[in-house]
Amino acid sequence: MGVKDVKPTRSELIEIKKKIKLSQSGHKLLKMKRDGLILEFFEILSKAKDVRSELDAAYEEASRKIGIANAVDGTITVKSTAFALKSKPEIELESRNIMGVVVPKIESSSVKKSINERGYGILGTSSYTDEAADAYENLVEKIILAAEIETTMKKLLDDIEKTKRRVNALEFKVIPELQEAMVFIRLRLEEMERENTFRLKRIKG
Amino acid sequence: MQLLQKFKRGNSKKSLSKGHANYAYTIARVRAMKSKLLPKETYPRLMNMSIDEITRFIEESEYKEDIDQLARQYEGVDLIEHALNRNLAETFTKLLYISEGDVNFLIGEKLKKYDIWNIKTILRGKYCNASTEEILDAIVAGGRLNYSSLSELAAKATYEDVISELANTEYYPILENYDGTNLSEIENKLDKMYYTGLFDAVGGSKSKDRKLFEEFTRMGIDLKNLITLFRLKKSGITDPEAMDLMIDGGLRCNLKETGKLLPLSFADFVSELESNPYWDVISDIVKPDMTSLVDVETRLKNHRLKSAASFSHVYPNSIVPIMDYMLSKQNEISNLRIIIRGKAANLEDDVIKEQLVI
Repeated sequence: MGVKDVKPTRSELIEIKKKIKLSQSGHKLLKMKRDGLILEFFEILSKAKDVRSELDAAYEEASRKIGIANAVDGTITVKSTAFALKSKPEIELESRNIMGVVVPKIESSSVKKSINERGYGILGTSSYTDEAADAYENLVEKIILAAEIETTMKKLLDDIEKTKRRVNALEFKVIPELQEAMVFIRLRLEEMERENTFRLKRIKG
Repeated sequence: MQLLQKFKRGNSKKSLSKGHANYAYTIARVRAMKSKLLPKETYPRLMNMSIDEITRFIEESEYKEDIDQLARQYEGVDLIEHALNRNLAETFTKLLYISEGDVNFLIGEKLKKYDIWNIKTILRGKYCNASTEEILDAIVAGGRLNYSSLSELAAKATYEDVISELANTEYYPILENYDGTNLSEIENKLDKMYYTGLFDAVGGSKSKDRKLFEEFTRMGIDLKNLITLFRLKKSGITDPEAMDLMIDGGLRCNLKETGKLLPLSFADFVSELESNPYWDVISDIVKPDMTSLVDVETRLKNHRLKSAASFSHVYPNSIVPIMDYMLSKQNEISNLRIIIRGKAANLEDDVIKEQLVI
């Protein structure tokens, strides 16, 4: 809003004063939200770091276990055993609110299974296959957890960025422009008053 | 069904008659085949080679023909593994063809493991709607059911068709109870049938060679029960119904004693094991807080194979040298696969060496 577009009237001055007050309180609230989100973000960041390192460890373990199972039992055995399991892990997606940011909450079920729930017979299989299956179930659980935390982190980052832009826009553009407009209207109103006084004096004279 | 009977190997009434057994001929052929097995010095050499070098070594060995046959279908480590499996199936098929009577019957009983494995694979494939090619990829036609008949079974549209095709086989009484949901139960019954069948086949004979083979088979049952117990305990299963998984006919552990271990927790189970006849084999690696059973299973498997090697030279004109050859061949295939797959998966040399039986 350029100063030139402002109508130098008293009602406009009142309106701008209201706007300045609103912008200032908005600015204060957004600053508080930004700080709060940053605090939340750092908390989740440390969690995400732990989950990521657990995920890496689980992946390494799963690769190692499937490597041993493939070597000792053979890939044919592992592949055939995998045919016996048809059910897939179930994932339930809910959402929760962190300071106005909607983040996902992922609940998983049927990931971890006991050896008698995996569909294959116990007598015809080995502990190599059991442990490979265990390691992959663990990996899937870690992936689900990492997905929840990393998506939350991403959403928080997006919102922090957005809030920061709004705070900056209010602080460096909207409020200064409104204040400039207010000063302009005041000056213009004073000027108009002086002109009026001068005009009246001339008429009297 | 007629088709299946047409494709079944070496199980004609003549060959199954127990009166006429060609031990001398079969053993002479087996000795010639055994001389072609890789010497034990080969494995440390293979351990020092890269995957490409091992591949080349295998390509220049007895497995050349199998690799040539499969080279268009597979590549790399997969090619080697499929070639090894093909060679194993061909070798065991040859044993069924050259043997007659009692010896053919015993070899057939031992090789039922492959028939049961293939039937399970086909049922699993049908269960998860795998394609015929995917199912055939996981088949090792090393038993009496040959590749053509297994391909016919794998191509059936539903598991009901597969089971009805097997209606006149000994597996049918178990398979007819399959309702599409109880696959693990059916698999366990089939596997149990293999062990009890083998025990019945070798048991009851008074000849010393058969007694030796019987002892070996019964030791296999002991060790199978032990590792099954380990796996059940590790999973926290104490259900008395799990007793159905225990196989009767063990050599040094009876079913009653084994049953007493079933309701125990893993820690109690481990402390009770100290009185088990096989405790010495695993005592240094079994701990109440152990996380992996891989070492225990490897140790028990190796113990069984080493005990087989200890009596392989006695009773030269009996079933013993034939079974010794079958185990040695299986072991060679297993060792080669462990080395090449282990290297491909970047497993440490120590881990690979622990799994080898040399």
